[in-house]
Amino acid sequence: MDDIDAMFTDLLGEMDLLTQSLGQETVPPAPLPSTDKEVNYSIGYADLNESLNELEDCDLDALMADLVADLNATEEKFAAQKEVLKVPSLPPPDLPPPPKGLSTHPASSLASPASPASSTSSNVSTPASSTASPLPPPPPQVPKPTKEEMEANIKADKIKLALEKLKEAKVKKLVVKVLMNDGSSKTLMVDERQTVREVLDNLFEKTHCDCNVDWSLVETNPDLQLERTFEDHENLVEPLSAWTRDSENKVLFQERGEKYEVFKNPQNFYLWKKDKNALKDMKDKDKELLIQENFCGTSIIVPDLEGVMHLKEDGKKSWKPRLFQLRASGIYYVPKGKTKSSRDLICFVQFDNVNVYYGKDFKGKYKAPTDFCFFLKHPQIQKESQYIKYLCCDDAWSMNLWVTGIRIAKYGASLYENYKTAEKAAVSSVWTNRSSSTPSSSNPSTPSPTIKAKSPSQANGHAPKPQQGPVSVDFGNVPPPPPPPPLSVFPHPTPPLAAKSSSKPAAPQRHLPTNFPPPPPAMDLLPPPPPPPNEDDALEAPPDFLPPPPPAIGFGSLPPPPTFNSPPLPPPPVSFRGVDQSLPPPPPDPGFLPPPPPQPMFTGAGAPPPPPPPPPPAAVPRAAIRPSGSVKKMPPAPPKRTTPSLQGGDGGDFMSELMLAMNKKRVH
Amino acid sequence: MAAWDLSVTVEDLGSDAPPVTLSVDSGLHVGGVILKLVEKTQIKRDWSDHALWWEQKQRWLLRTAWTLDKYGIHADARLVFMPQHKPLRLGLPNGITLRLRACFSSSVFQTVMGICRMLNIRHPEELSLLQPVEEKKKKKDKNSAEEIYDLTEVPLSSASRPCLYNGMPAHFADSPQMEAIYKMLSVTQPPPAPEVIAKQYRAASVVDKAHIHGRWLDSSRCLLQQGIQENSRLWLRFKYFAFYDMEPKYDVVRLTQLYEQARWAILLEDIDCTEEEMMLFGALQYHISKVSQSEPQMLSSSAAMDDLESALQSLEVKMEGESIDDMSNVIVCFRPKRMTLKGYKQYWFKFQDTSISYFKSKEESIGEPIQQINLKGCEVAPDVNVTAQKFLIRLLIPAPEGMNEVYLRCENEQQYAQWMAGCRLASKGKSLADSSFQSEIQSIRSFLAMQKTSSGTHGNAPANDESINTHSLVSPRYHKKYKAKQLTPRILDAYQNVAQLSLTDAVMRFLQIWQALPDFGLSYVVVRFKGSRKDEVLGIGPNRLIRIDLAVGDVVKTWRYNNMKQWNVNWDIRQVAIEFEGNINIAFACVTADCKIVHEFIGGYIFMSTRSRAKSDTLNEELFHKLTGGHEAL
Repeated sequence: MDDIDAMFTDLLGEMDLLTQSLGQETVPPAPLPSTDKEVNYSIGYADLNESLNELEDCDLDALMADLVADLNATEEKFAAQKEVLKVPSLPPPDLPPPPKGLSTHPASSLASPASPASSTSSNVSTPASSTASPLPPPPPQVPKPTKEEMEANIKADKIKLALEKLKEAKVKKLVVKVLMNDGSSKTLMVDERQTVREVLDNLFEKTHCDCNVDWSLVETNPDLQLERTFEDHENLVEPLSAWTRDSENKVLFQERGEKYEVFKNPQNFYLWKKDKNALKDMKDKDKELLIQENFCGTSIIVPDLEGVMHLKEDGKKSWKPRLFQLRASGIYYVPKGKTKSSRDLICFVQFDNVNVYYGKDFKGKYKAPTDFCFFLKHPQIQKESQYIKYLCCDDAWSMNLWVTGIRIAKYGASLYENYKTAEKAAVSSVWTNRSSSTPSSSNPSTPSPTIKAKSPSQANGHAPKPQQGPVSVDFGNVPPPPPPPPLSVFPHPTPPLAAKSSSKPAAPQRHLPTNFPPPPPAMDLLPPPPPPPNEDDALEAPPDFLPPPPPAIGFGSLPPPPTFNSPPLPPPPVSFRGVDQSLPPPPPDPGFLPPPPPQPMFTGAGAPPPPPPPPPPAAVPRAAIRPSGSVKKMPPAPPKRTTPSLQGGDGGDFMSELMLAMNKKRVH
Repeated sequence: MAAWDLSVTVEDLGSDAPPVTLSVDSGLHVGGVILKLVEKTQIKRDWSDHALWWEQKQRWLLRTAWTLDKYGIHADARLVFMPQHKPLRLGLPNGITLRLRACFSSSVFQTVMGICRMLNIRHPEELSLLQPVEEKKKKKDKNSAEEIYDLTEVPLSSASRPCLYNGMPAHFADSPQMEAIYKMLSVTQPPPAPEVIAKQYRAASVVDKAHIHGRWLDSSRCLLQQGIQENSRLWLRFKYFAFYDMEPKYDVVRLTQLYEQARWAILLEDIDCTEEEMMLFGALQYHISKVSQSEPQMLSSSAAMDDLESALQSLEVKMEGESIDDMSNVIVCFRPKRMTLKGYKQYWFKFQDTSISYFKSKEESIGEPIQQINLKGCEVAPDVNVTAQKFLIRLLIPAPEGMNEVYLRCENEQQYAQWMAGCRLASKGKSLADSSFQSEIQSIRSFLAMQKTSSGTHGNAPANDESINTHSLVSPRYHKKYKAKQLTPRILDAYQNVAQLSLTDAVMRFLQIWQALPDFGLSYVVVRFKGSRKDEVLGIGPNRLIRIDLAVGDVVKTWRYNNMKQWNVNWDIRQVAIEFEGNINIAFACVTADCKIVHEFIGGYIFMSTRSRAKSDTLNEELFHKLTGGHEAL
């Protein structure tokens, strides 16, 4: 219990740091956006008081939870590194100094916008180096053990820990308030290395939504009346850092069907010229082929778009029609009196430095011909400017075509990778959700039933690329994917496994609890409804410790499925046998049709073949169990940094005790 | 059975030698004829590659167990006894001519397989042979000087895959000359002189392109049957634009030749692209030629080397991180806004991390700067005129209100190169400590050098390694539109995005951009659709057929192969008929090419799409033949 107390004081110290840095944050104005590395500040709050007030109640708990996870990760890594858990009481003195430095020094930051950061960093590092004078300089790699005596060792350990924390503190973190569909909000801490995907996974844990692929983080800016769905591979902190201090911008957590529509109905984008009715009932096989052709070849193919759009010319009020063409290299237009041949095209914009945004209500604001507008701008531009390129389409359909086309041209293969990861998350969540709630209560408004049905096999078939994040060494050092201890602590995850492997899961995947709006599921799962009262958070907190993507990690540790490249469904070679005689198409040659069976997965995973029908459920539960086992083998190889997941079991105990302790404290 | 006289011309006796007359009977099998023939010539040599060719029927008598009767050969038959493998002058995609022995008796498909085996090109099914465009006879004199690489001494092997020695087929390791040939195959050629590009035949219209596609050889018949004689000139080209399983490690020659074919397609405007794309292609060509000169070995180096390299690189980073963290003490001039007509004002500039700050003077540089500008995400453009000694860096710096325009004026080339490199790196979020800083400076300087030379000699200077005439990197259209020194900054501009690529990555990037062009992979044939009274163009792509209106040049209709139910050719009226799902039927006659060529293209692409990793190594020749053979497949 001593340990926990010490831990707790430590925690409070960390919280101090956080709140103080919040205070400090409001001091400097932001004439030029400075991209510094060390500042913690909050996004989504109009002013400091509000933010602190809000932090006071519900969010504080959530944040606490995040922080505990952070700390714990550092802690564990450290412990694992030393093997002996000799530093039970963390020296609080190590922590407080930085905040003081932060709060006293901002004066110097007034002069230039970027200097607050540098001053911060220097302040942070001074105390450290003074305490740590005998030790290697700040970049706290410290791989080699010191040659001194036991005492010195312990001291060195403490310092090392302090350095770890400092390094941690150098990572830019934002407190982000995310607005939910129902008007409520969640506050979370995002660090600069976290991708949108990871934040989404985090939110999935917090909201118990159905985790389908449409869930997105959306940026809005009332000044520009814009909306943009963040791409899953982006680091969330970066775009948010471009916001001005007084901005009214918001981050929304919403289902956005258009985000991955191109993978659900590729024909609408790649064959848009065709008869729309014919496109409606496109066979899954053909859709798959389209995706293969355009996203899985050596080169990503951008939809062949061409059409008249209205352009609001630089700084002018009028909208002029022009014939535009989308190419992989940018948007072009056909100059007056010229042909459409490539060499005559004039480049309108290239995508290296701009993002594409939806414009809202531009008819009113800019007298646009229609409300179906999008525009391109440098992400840092936050106010009206002649450098923003506004375009207006005839209808919503063509607007979506263009925006999606531009995203494909800009992000290329990442987009598809993102989709596959999102799909995987959706599939695995389906099973975890299913275990804790009865699926019957869900409303079946699935927008993309076909994909849903298909996804299991896909999840199996695709290489586990996207997992670089959590698996990489960098993350070992950092909180984001906290250890997966809860297995032993929280009953949730385990029963589902049993339920799953025993019950015949062939049918269920059809009527999954997909797609209900966020609040209801929470009610299904947990007694208190979300409008965040305290108890709710107490209950919700635990999931924070769940490693956001545990199943994914599991996938990551599986041997690379060989299937990734093989499924280029041999198209209809089938029908071309009797070439010269006009034979009727011969019956499909079975050899070509079935997508590669997921067999290798099972053998590869080294587990007894589970009941064949639906592969993913089998894979998922194992993934959940696996991390501890499979990861455990790793430590010897990278001795200096071990992934947090290493601590599997006892870490969980520790965490749960800590939580208990925290709850007790609160009661008092 | 009665004996009769059969006269056989033996090629090896010389063209003037009279035919050898043998006394045979109809029951004698072909092997027996050959035996008799060899005995009669009394020449001792290896005859194993020789076979009989029946001139009137244009066919080889390869089945030695068949009797003359079975072949239907009578006394009037004119037979020629000759080797099946004969020298051929083969034009490679990189424009170089090889002399090698190719098989004249098997189908062109197999001949190509043999050639590719010799040259170490995987997936020979993607290539084929093309009859070259006739060269104008006037320039014959120049042609005689053409260097020909000779591979005729390479022993013919039947091994499906040659054993590799040092990463290349063993026969290339025999002598320095052979190694030089392999280097020619596997290393990209330097950019061609602008005049060479200008002199090449360029297809001016889609109809011209269609005519070129009418020259593909029939892959199911042998060379001799198609009138190809010994020492003829043929082009080896990628024909099906569905490149399967491209693996830089094994595909050195394949990748290089594909790059060369793509490069020439761009330079000769065989495929259209925009000006911006042309500049990027130019920049990539420049980069590729530069890197391949400095890195003369094959595209792929061994894993150990990679490790070493990355280790060295990280060491470099570390060391540089300690040395150059900031660049200051450089005085630059600066003009804040374009509209203010005030001239440039002199400030003391300091470059640190990804930001620049400026001060009134050096003395004040210890204090607070007048302004600090973070360059991350900004646009950097050069405005340079070497002869006028103008070295401007134009910065477009994003800010919440829009973009701020800032000009930095440097005093000299040296300063410009450093600051430009710094700005470029900073715009990508990299600091001066980045390992690429020095190479960035280097490339900026070499581009400056290019500007100097090209303005001096009007583009006739031979390309040495520091300077390349930028006219060598773009199609002739741009030779007319821009002077070389006008092109330089534009290519340099595009170059900054690719300058860090490794050779392989640069080649791959080139191919990717090429493949992303809208017209990529289309082979054209002029056709007459059934019921239509005018000529139209059929474009055959890797996944679709398109119908193009000749008058307007617009795509009228697209049909995808995966909706195709069947296609067939009526060989009597030379008409191709295709049925698509949904009761769509089309039929057309081919104008610029034989319908066999169209048939083969469609079947070929269907075949390409059936390849899968599982059976990657064995080429399903039978299926290919089935899909493309036509008559012969029956």
